Amino acid sequence: MRYIKNWKQFQRVLISIFLWIIAAIWYIPIFWMLSTSLKSTQIAITEDPPRLIPKEPTLENYKTVFSAASGISVMRGIINSIIVAVVSTILGLVIATPAAYALSRLNFKGRNAIFWSYVAILAFPGVLFLVPQYFIIHRLGLMDNFLALILPGLGSTFGVFLLRQYMLGIPRELEDAAWIDGCSRLRFLITVVIPYVKPALTTLALMSFLGSWNSFLWPLLVMNSPEKLTLPIALVRFSAGWGDPFRGIGPLMAGAFISVLPTLIIFVVFHKYLMQGISLSVGEK
Amino acid sequence: MGLQNYIRIWTDDRFWLAVKNTVIFAIISIPLTMAVAMIIALILNQKVYGKLWLLVAFVSPTFFGSVGILTTWKWIYASYPTGLANYALLKLGFLKEAISWFETPTRAWACIIITTVWWIVGFSVLLYLGALQRIPPEQYEAAKVDGAGPWKTFWNITLPWMRNVLFFDVVRQVLLVFGLFDQVYFFTGGGPAGSTRTMVYYLYLVGFTRQELGQAAAISWYIFAIVLIFALLQLILLTRTVRSAEE
Repeated sequence: MRYIKNWKQFQRVLISIFLWIIAAIWYIPIFWMLSTSLKSTQIAITEDPPRLIPKEPTLENYKTVFSAASGISVMRGIINSIIVAVVSTILGLVIATPAAYALSRLNFKGRNAIFWSYVAILAFPGVLFLVPQYFIIHRLGLMDNFLALILPGLGSTFGVFLLRQYMLGIPRELEDAAWIDGCSRLRFLITVVIPYVKPALTTLALMSFLGSWNSFLWPLLVMNSPEKLTLPIALVRFSAGWGDPFRGIGPLMAGAFISVLPTLIIFVVFHKYLMQGISLSVGEK
Repeated sequence: MGLQNYIRIWTDDRFWLAVKNTVIFAIISIPLTMAVAMIIALILNQKVYGKLWLLVAFVSPTFFGSVGILTTWKWIYASYPTGLANYALLKLGFLKEAISWFETPTRAWACIIITTVWWIVGFSVLLYLGALQRIPPEQYEAAKVDGAGPWKTFWNITLPWMRNVLFFDVVRQVLLVFGLFDQVYFFTGGGPAGSTRTMVYYLYLVGFTRQELGQAAAISWYIFAIVLIFALLQLILLTRTVRSAEE
């Protein structure tokens, strides 16, 4: 018996090692990005054979990225991206939480109509709303304004849906007990509901932050001034400034790595929450 | 004004080419993504060491932004002999000389599809992994007693149990495909000769490069008409999700 157990364990180790190798190959693009960002551009485009581990690693590219080149500051882009992502995430949660509560527990006229219009919007791909959204932002005179990036997401359709799903699980008895104690709706929301849905709030905050941080097409359409660009758009402009894109590949890969690093950290630390968000949106717990 | 925009788009060959491109992309990339996701999910569902790192490798890219991912892949597809893709394929003997990756329509699409599958597969992996973990272990034990091999077990137990999630994923991905923009923007700009121009890319060209917002709105309505069935399916699935939580 003991022999069999060891053999099984040995098999498991072998399979694991094999899978790690596959995983490492799968991740080569990310390694390649990091590796190129640590080489001087001259070496990156001429070296033969191309090396995954730089021969003479240098931080030169990161210095270039952080100093203003051709009027586009990537540093400014990072700050702008953080501002927009943090503000949209917080405002989104502040709006979605009471909305989801009202739509899950309060009885008022038109509740179902409101809720189902939320669900209907969720069913259609976002690209359909690109033109009308652009039109509205344009008419409001908000072009090239951070509000153009923050306002459209504030309805937080997905957030309301997700939180409502979660809030339906709050035991009725808890609520009844609170009314008997003379607890106000708002106090109940803050002291009972919010702690109860905290995991869902965390999931939502992460998804909304990443959504804003990664957003590309929309900011490309509505932002223009160099000092107001978010990181993805700043990087595109930055690389356009080099003419042939590969002539600035070192700094570009440094910028690319900076843009994925926060996501990577969030994934490693919070992957359980992200996975939960995905399974909640399918309706399986 | 008015109908004119709709007629103009309807009679525009470039629009229909974009529709065709998008549909072909969907037909190839969706089954491919699902098959790859299924393999990865089955692997991650086994007892292996260092699962977190496998998860990071296969799943984390789906959460990365397009600029970081696509500029890197474009650099991998560099046309000179020391570009990573050229270099690797030359070394392995698949290529005789370095090629320019976005030169022909087939090659350009192959690049877009490979990158897309690599990039978005993680989301499906998470969906499938969740579904796999909900299959009761007794099902597999029963199959073992019956002497069913791994292939048979997969067809008779795993797949039927995953039907709902797979259906959800098809609908989700079809809706996603009609938003295909970033890959085209970074890799090909729609070329060569419009062969990789997708519907949203065409909408972008008409509405925002040429500033014809009216025509872009017409394109949006055409996209709406095409995805309507899938959006309604999605709506039904969402309704079911809502109902199951309400009970």
